[in-house]
Amino acid sequence: MGVQKDRVKFNVGGRIFETTATTLANAGRNSLFGAMFDENWNLQSNPATTAAATEHFIDRNPDCFSILLDLLRTGELHIPTNIPEKLLYKEALFYGLSDHVRTARWGPFDGNRLHLARSVHGRAPGDGTAIRAGPDGGCCVAHGSMVHVYDWTLEEHPPINLDYQRVNDAIWVDSDNIVISACERLGRDEGGMGLFSTSNGELRYKFHVAHENQAKSYTGGALSFNQDYKLFSSCKGRSNEYGIGVWDQVTGNQVDFFYEPPGWSLGEADKLQWLHGTNCLLVATLFPRKDNCYIGLLDFRDKSMVWSWSDIGARITDERRVRDAIAMEETNSICVVNEYEDLGFMDLRRAGSIVRWSSRSRLMKGKMPDEPCYPKLALHEGQLFSSMNDSVSVFAGPDWVLTSRLRNSYGGSICDFSIGGDRLFALHSDENVFDIWETRAHSIV
Amino acid sequence: MSSGHKKRNFQIEAFKHKVVVDPKYAEKTWKILDHAIHEIYNHNASGLSFEELYRNAYNMVLHKFGEKLYSGLVSTMTLHLQTMSKSIESAHGGLFLEELNTKWSDHNKALQMIRDILMYMDRTFIPSTHKTPVHELGLNLWRDNVIHSDKIQTRLLNTLLELILRERMGEVINRGLMRNIIKMLMDLGPSVYQDDFEKPFLEVSADFYRAESQEFIECSDCGDYLKKAERRLNEEIERVSHYLDAKSEAKITNVVEKEMVANHMLRLVHMDNSGLVKMLLDDKLEDLGRMYTLFKRVPIGLPTIRDVLTSHIRNTGKQLVTDPEKSKNPVEFVEALLDKKDKYDKIIASSFSNDKTFQNALSSSFEYFINLNPRSPEYISLFVDDKLRKGLKGVKEEDIEIMLDKVMMLFRYLQEKDVFEKYYKQHLAKRLLSGKTVSDDAERSLIVKLKTECGYQFTSKLEGMFTDMKTSQDTMQGFYSAHGGDLASGPTLVVQVLTTGSWPTQSSISCNLPSELLTLCEKFRSYYLGTHTGRRLSWQTNMGTADLRATFGNGQKYELNVSTYQMCVLMLFNNSDCLSYREIEQATEIISSDLKRCLQSLACVKGKNVLRKEPMSKEIGEDDVFSVNDKFTSKLRKVKIGTVVAQKESEPEKQETRQRVEEDRKPQIEAAVVRIMKSRRVLDHNNIIAEVTKQLQPRFLANPSEIKKRIESLIERDFLERDNVDRRLYRYLA
Repeated sequence: MGVQKDRVKFNVGGRIFETTATTLANAGRNSLFGAMFDENWNLQSNPATTAAATEHFIDRNPDCFSILLDLLRTGELHIPTNIPEKLLYKEALFYGLSDHVRTARWGPFDGNRLHLARSVHGRAPGDGTAIRAGPDGGCCVAHGSMVHVYDWTLEEHPPINLDYQRVNDAIWVDSDNIVISACERLGRDEGGMGLFSTSNGELRYKFHVAHENQAKSYTGGALSFNQDYKLFSSCKGRSNEYGIGVWDQVTGNQVDFFYEPPGWSLGEADKLQWLHGTNCLLVATLFPRKDNCYIGLLDFRDKSMVWSWSDIGARITDERRVRDAIAMEETNSICVVNEYEDLGFMDLRRAGSIVRWSSRSRLMKGKMPDEPCYPKLALHEGQLFSSMNDSVSVFAGPDWVLTSRLRNSYGGSICDFSIGGDRLFALHSDENVFDIWETRAHSIV
Repeated sequence: MSSGHKKRNFQIEAFKHKVVVDPKYAEKTWKILDHAIHEIYNHNASGLSFEELYRNAYNMVLHKFGEKLYSGLVSTMTLHLQTMSKSIESAHGGLFLEELNTKWSDHNKALQMIRDILMYMDRTFIPSTHKTPVHELGLNLWRDNVIHSDKIQTRLLNTLLELILRERMGEVINRGLMRNIIKMLMDLGPSVYQDDFEKPFLEVSADFYRAESQEFIECSDCGDYLKKAERRLNEEIERVSHYLDAKSEAKITNVVEKEMVANHMLRLVHMDNSGLVKMLLDDKLEDLGRMYTLFKRVPIGLPTIRDVLTSHIRNTGKQLVTDPEKSKNPVEFVEALLDKKDKYDKIIASSFSNDKTFQNALSSSFEYFINLNPRSPEYISLFVDDKLRKGLKGVKEEDIEIMLDKVMMLFRYLQEKDVFEKYYKQHLAKRLLSGKTVSDDAERSLIVKLKTECGYQFTSKLEGMFTDMKTSQDTMQGFYSAHGGDLASGPTLVVQVLTTGSWPTQSSISCNLPSELLTLCEKFRSYYLGTHTGRRLSWQTNMGTADLRATFGNGQKYELNVSTYQMCVLMLFNNSDCLSYREIEQATEIISSDLKRCLQSLACVKGKNVLRKEPMSKEIGEDDVFSVNDKFTSKLRKVKIGTVVAQKESEPEKQETRQRVEEDRKPQIEAAVVRIMKSRRVLDHNNIIAEVTKQLQPRFLANPSEIKKRIESLIERDFLERDNVDRRLYRYLA
């Protein structure tokens, strides 16, 4: 048998570690170990005789090295309580193992196995507008005219300042870029939408709306984008520019505009959702922005509204008023919610559909808090999420049965929440705090 | 934030202070890294400690000396690249590229190692300050200090172009080295490759091929020139695949195409004795194919070929159809057309890759010249007639189909399809009545083809003719089973009852039948009218045939196969030996032109002259006298005596057919006008002419003046009226 030829010995801050080149190879070429053992650096000369005997000195924290070495060995991350997370992240950055740590930090998202990982305080004074999860575990919080950006370690990046214009919506187009829509300010060619860098908060470019070849100032509303790098936004211009604008995300050029049809509302939409399967855009304009609710599916290929629903003319009670809507392509339906968190469903395949309400919680009536936050909906891999007061409910299965409820006793009502990067972020309205919910990493045992 | 609450921990602040303030710390650390970079470039890296260098670079970034580290890197690397540049400059002649290549791979290796050391800076400091990453920086510095240095830039370009020129002249060059150098230019970014190599390369290539093509075209014929051009094109494509950027292929082939093909297209096509026309005449399929593939690559290349092809086919076709020699024999005429079509079909299939536009050009050319000869419809029908009479004996079924398909193809080109129909009907009638048709299947197959081409209407009458033939057989059976007994001794009568309208009617002046037959015919008439009510029968004696048994002077017996007219004449000689022309005419009442032809065939054809004529001459005179030729002999017992008929129509007959066609067209034009006006209600003159022409196109090309006449006739008959205000408008009167 003899001595294993690929044995490697490290002396890290005075502690000796022995491992193998195979284990270190898991770190990849773009890491300290990858570079260290590249043939350019003659570290493995005389391998048979001295490799095991030669120790490589690294002047770093041995405790953290031990954790990271275990991560390379097992693929799992175990942080003892006596090691601050920040310290470990710094060490990972030194070795070039940040990505390894991030992917091992928490497991694939499952709404029924979430635990509260962190609460971040004191970053969002005043009423928060929106919280948006980024694709790799970061998030951004919009409030007033500021957008705070956090990376996956929840380190805050330089905030994005909208020059005192109110932010309406934000969306991550990738881990480095955020699009933000803001209110127009009368008398100045401001407002509209811009693409910002998440690392330093700088404006990369603005998205313009042109009407009859003239650039117009406008208010950008709800945002969405599709797999072809097209960006959609509801737009409210000074004169005729009411509708849904479409831009190329890469060039920033406007490529299309869907003008608002008479008697319908698009320009002030609260929610846009791109449907990959049908190549359509869901546009929902809801109470209280408008007295009535309008939900439609737009097909941009032939500029038509292929499906629509509205409560105009219906007798509206609070129980029948739609507060949020989301399309669920798997079941060809649209889910809506009223202010008592009753879910309702509509068939997408039939025109002139009516809402089938499944009344679950009449009990909520009369138990409303002083400052209620209206329910919001989200969908993630077959699980439906709805926020209500201070908790988020998870529904699943063909009949959308309540399976879990997430609740943090602190912070009051949830005004917005968002799922992405295998995390759920919930923004509270009463206190200045947002929560991060994660699924624990699987252990193989 | 949390540290804000722990301000009392002075120790940490003091510690931080010490390190950051030390001014020599940064200088010392950079010295170490700077030295390492030198060692790396000097191939002396084995003594370096990677861990130490990595840590030092990390610390510099951590302690906010990232800027110093980065600028130090830029200046050190620049220094080394300038040294490298000097050494490359001083390389002699052929070693220049070798040296450049060696230094390039050294730099690449060094760059990789430097990047390893500075990995932390690359990951954190550079993105947050929007600086150029280390690898890209290394390439940019190489570009600016080496490739773009005064003494290298033009020398490099000239060396590369020189090598390519030498390869074009047939020398073998080091392609591996070329590939490495070009790859280097590509690695430095598309703009470097394009500006420093590709653009000048394309310019020089254009000059080269411009000169070469000029030289080639002066001393080669078209076929050879095309071969050379094709070889050059393939060479360039091969060159790209060996050592250029794949994206250059389209550009360099474009240059070759423009200089060698596009600029000389007209000259090549029209070259005397070797141009396109000559290739077509000699069926040079390979050369034609080469011309097609080369010309296809350049704009208006194919139209150039197509135009020459079209005018050549039109000219030769026109010569063919207007050649009076060819017109003498309709079968040869059509065969020549078919040969021509076969020839060009083959050329288009094998050389022009079955290009649709070429096929269309061929069709339109045929359409053009076939219709130049007004007798084409007649000839095509005669060709079919010839084939179906005799030409198909012993031919396989598939071949018949092929032949019929070819005929249909010619038929498609005809503008006056109704004229063809007229002739076809006449010829078919003759075939059916004389029982001459070889293959019933072939006949029907052609009718099916005509039907699919022109519709039910076109063939309904033709099909009616077949039905009549069949019904007549049944009728004859019925007749003989009814009268079987009392007819046994007399002559046998076979009647074909033809429906008026289905058959080409001819003015039916009946002749006097011999008395032996007359009674029989009367019997048939009463039988037929007895079984069918409301019908009228008239005898078409001009179309029948008869078999006669004749005994001549020497007791020799023959069976004579003759026409009905000829029978009538011969039967007269049962009762008298000698008859004059006038006596015969009186007895038979056959119109003189037919009678003359009939007598001519009985008395003047050598070997078949059953009658003798006084005086002996070729022509029949009004005063001639006829008697039975006692000395008639023949090797065969059955003698077929044909009628002297012009196979082609004679001039007056042609006129007559023409007139009939014109007559038939009138109701069709009127019907079209009424159909169109019924749907449009109001239409102006020009539009109605256009629409009528379009609607009738599948059958014939309507003459505008004839349409105008028909419209006027319709106005007279109150189908239409002119608009009161605008006289050019017509209104439909319901």
